[in-house]
Amino acid sequence: MTLPASLDEAVAALTAMPAAVPVAGGTDLMAAVNKGHLRPAGLVGLGRINEIRGWQYQDGHALLGAGLTHSRMGRPDFAALIPALAAAARAAGPPQIRNAGTLGGNIVTAAPTGDSLPVLAALEADLVVMGPLGTREIPISHLLAGRDLLAPGELVAFVRVPLLHAPQVFLKATGRTGPARATASVAVVLDPARRGVRCAVGAIAPMPLRPLEAEHWIASLVDWDAERGLAPEALTAFGEYVAAACIPDPPGDEQLPPAVLHLRRTVAALARRALGRALS
Amino acid sequence: MSSDATTATTGAAAGAPVPALDGPAQEAPAHGIGASLSPADARAKTEGTFPYASDLWAEGLLWAAILRSPHPHARILSIDTTAAAEMPGVRAVVTHADVPGEPAYGRTVADRPVFASELVRHHGESIAAVAADHPDTARLAAAAIAVEYEILEPVTDPEKAFAAEPLHPDGNLIRHIPLRFGDEGATGEVVVEGLYRIGRQDPAPIGAEAGLAVPRPDGGVEIYTASTDPHTDRDLAAACFGLPPDQVKVVVTGVPGATGDREDPGFQIPLGLLALRTGCPVKLTATREESFLGHAHRHPTLLRYRHHADAEGRLVKVEAQILLDAGAYADASSESLAAAVSFACGPYVVPHAFVEGWAVRTNNPPSGHVRGEGAMQVCAAYEAQMDKLALKLGLDPAELRLRNVLATGDILPTGQTVTCPAPVAELLAAVRDFPLPALPLDTPEEDWLLPGGPEGAGEPGAVRRGVGYALGMVHMLGAEGADEVSTATVKVQDGVATVLCAAVETGSGFSTLARQIVQEILGLEEVHVASVDTDQPPAGPATHGRHTWVSGGAVERAAKMVRTQLLQPLAHKFGMSTELLQITDGKITSYDGILSMTVAEAMDGKELWATAQCRPHPTEPLDDSGQGDAFVGLAFCAVRAVVDVDIELGSVRVVEMAVAQDVGRILNPAQLNARIEAGITQGVGAALTENLRTARGLIRHPDLTGYALPTSLDAPDIRIVKLVEERDVVAPFGAKPASAVPVVTAPAAVASAVRAATGRPVNRLPIRAQAAVGVPNS
Repeated sequence: MTLPASLDEAVAALTAMPAAVPVAGGTDLMAAVNKGHLRPAGLVGLGRINEIRGWQYQDGHALLGAGLTHSRMGRPDFAALIPALAAAARAAGPPQIRNAGTLGGNIVTAAPTGDSLPVLAALEADLVVMGPLGTREIPISHLLAGRDLLAPGELVAFVRVPLLHAPQVFLKATGRTGPARATASVAVVLDPARRGVRCAVGAIAPMPLRPLEAEHWIASLVDWDAERGLAPEALTAFGEYVAAACIPDPPGDEQLPPAVLHLRRTVAALARRALGRALS
Repeated sequence: MSSDATTATTGAAAGAPVPALDGPAQEAPAHGIGASLSPADARAKTEGTFPYASDLWAEGLLWAAILRSPHPHARILSIDTTAAAEMPGVRAVVTHADVPGEPAYGRTVADRPVFASELVRHHGESIAAVAADHPDTARLAAAAIAVEYEILEPVTDPEKAFAAEPLHPDGNLIRHIPLRFGDEGATGEVVVEGLYRIGRQDPAPIGAEAGLAVPRPDGGVEIYTASTDPHTDRDLAAACFGLPPDQVKVVVTGVPGATGDREDPGFQIPLGLLALRTGCPVKLTATREESFLGHAHRHPTLLRYRHHADAEGRLVKVEAQILLDAGAYADASSESLAAAVSFACGPYVVPHAFVEGWAVRTNNPPSGHVRGEGAMQVCAAYEAQMDKLALKLGLDPAELRLRNVLATGDILPTGQTVTCPAPVAELLAAVRDFPLPALPLDTPEEDWLLPGGPEGAGEPGAVRRGVGYALGMVHMLGAEGADEVSTATVKVQDGVATVLCAAVETGSGFSTLARQIVQEILGLEEVHVASVDTDQPPAGPATHGRHTWVSGGAVERAAKMVRTQLLQPLAHKFGMSTELLQITDGKITSYDGILSMTVAEAMDGKELWATAQCRPHPTEPLDDSGQGDAFVGLAFCAVRAVVDVDIELGSVRVVEMAVAQDVGRILNPAQLNARIEAGITQGVGAALTENLRTARGLIRHPDLTGYALPTSLDAPDIRIVKLVEERDVVAPFGAKPASAVPVVTAPAAVASAVRAATGRPVNRLPIRAQAAVGVPNS
């Protein structure tokens, strides 16, 4: 295990030992190690790299360090910047996990139930990736969809998120009241400058789903120059539109199984509630 | 049925508030019976310094790993251990061919192989074990054992087990009880029917199984483990080792959580075999996954019910079919089935009852003893039926129940007369009359009280509140002729008493009660409870609240014998009988206070010992029509659940559980309340989240992420509204064990409340979100 103090050192350490695995909070990685599913040849600890533990501002965007913990993102000052990401961070597991688990770890683990992922997808965040050949940026959806994978020696250093100065909502349905993995989650963000509504649904597919048509349709109904309110029927229709886009009807006369129908109802209710709260 | 959030208080009778048992009503004693004595090891356990089996160490120890079957049903064609045995660091590999004694074991019938030889019958069945000098080496070596399987179609539907090819030479039917009571032709004016399914609850102990086996120079072995029934475990292990029982010693370490059988011989026997084989101490610490695969679960149950009642709501006849999925091996299924069939009608007077019960083998994970087994599953079903009857008759659910409740002197469907206190009506009235909790305010500060919890998606407009009731009963002690005996020894020396009793402290509080009993009788403050091993006389399993009763009774008798030994010479000297002397604060005083002497003086450096047994009155097995005096005692409880349901998402939050329980006598108030709260919380888990899911016989998520236990946010407010102290004359001190009956009753109460909130039938536990989605605009 090496403990680099800067991103450059971390990249050098990973390049020198390509089989090593970077570890930050370790909440997913070490669980896999303890279960015997993973036996990394070496570990590169990212905990001492101070430059990725905070954030900075850059032409209308926030450049979030990949080492930001969920606890840090859950605090009010962060919530004032990116409310949906803060809400997702607060909902992501018990305090012990939130204190250790990081934004970068949540992205790289790419678990379907990763709570920050639908928010980052709705925000159309870009990942700043550093590697032996320099720095490059990739859209988060490309990484999650497997279109653009991290090369050996590369690691996610920052996440570039637009600052939209408008309401954002993250809602999550779980099987119990205490901390649990999402059965479905929905992020809705408003982008008044571009007159857009963006929505992503998490936990129901291997990566967050974007119901683009539903987004465009509802954005066209919102009166962006006035109160931005919508009739309850429009909210309900949006919810159903989102749910049907994410969980389409099977071809022919087939019926969805009851559990899937319930999931679809859950997505519809979450999307309706999330948009309602964002517009209220 | 569905009570809207604003009218939810209508169910409450406007009675005077019943004081909850929070504040001390009177000065509680500091020690002896009735004191809230805390456990002697509480501090060490809280601070993390208490040594559990997983903390044990011996010089030169080896680590064990068990190879488990990845298939639920397969024929073993060959097992090749060569590669594993040749790995550096591996000291021994054992399979079925290396078991020197009995190849199989079991608590009721020896039907479970130590290691599968020809067939594997469930996912996770043990096939071989390895001892190596490092835990990773042991695990890798176990994985290197080459097993060739012919995969067979698993039998996973218990209804199909009857007709399926036998999974075991003993056949697929473990037990059938056809209970017949009364007139089969009787019918009622109102009939309700239902089909209910209860899921697979896991005991999910906080500390996973662990043990250390140390070979002895005489060829025997000592096993250090958290056994809850050390003598039975020793006998089973010795038979498999081919050793006489006195060559095997089980030493009980601290028990890190037990609501069922723990450290079953499936862990101990491979461990002992490896220690005997290698001549070295061998340690095994199960992973969470192994723990889920290896130990027994609550029986998943399918129940069909038909209740007949007259127009006033009085029960006429109950017909029921109960099918318990026992998994591959018999274990404690026979007793679970007896409880299920006997209590199929609940604590209600039923003139005619026809109940058929079966326990069958399948290739699902094995079922066994988990607190309240049998009784919990039927409670969920008969209480659902009572709700249906109330709905059909237009009666208040509590009122319907009150019209039918059992009382002392009534006859159970097994033909047994209820001779113990049965204050069921009083319990139900207590929870019904307790004021309902306030509705949460619609403010951001109280958002976290919505279903879904803090940061959840709950929306006040979609939340409906429901109130539900359930009455439950369990038997105490073993049933059907089990020899319920315990032996205890009390020793007094230098003013300090020591209790030696092989009753395992599982967290049930027995060792604290034993101290209190001795304090009460001998008037000594300092009482120690010795740790348990099988060199002591047997005290039986720590199940069904036995130890409060039988071991408590044995401790009481032994302490009384010591008291007599202590007082006899003094009584003689003072010229009065021993009854006229009392011991308080280490001082012996005569009734009139004139003569007195300290205990230390009276002892005069002597050591006093006494050993006594407690054996309650015998029971008899149920006959072939399910009749018989099968139970020593019964305990009852009433629960009122208040739930909030988000009727769009189907998320449920249990707001409050009001409990009234029949406890006989309160021996330790703090401990009693803790046991009831723990039981209710386990019941809430069974009602809402706890279900070890399988797919074609494979356990899908053997971890605590997939198996959702209640967290502190899921645990409801628990109000212990009333503890009825009507002493059971046959029980020592008149006290009834208290842990099991809340577990039995709570799930049914939660289901009843969700039914009231949503208007949905709720016929499956745990309650799935889609079953709690309300009928819109109702």
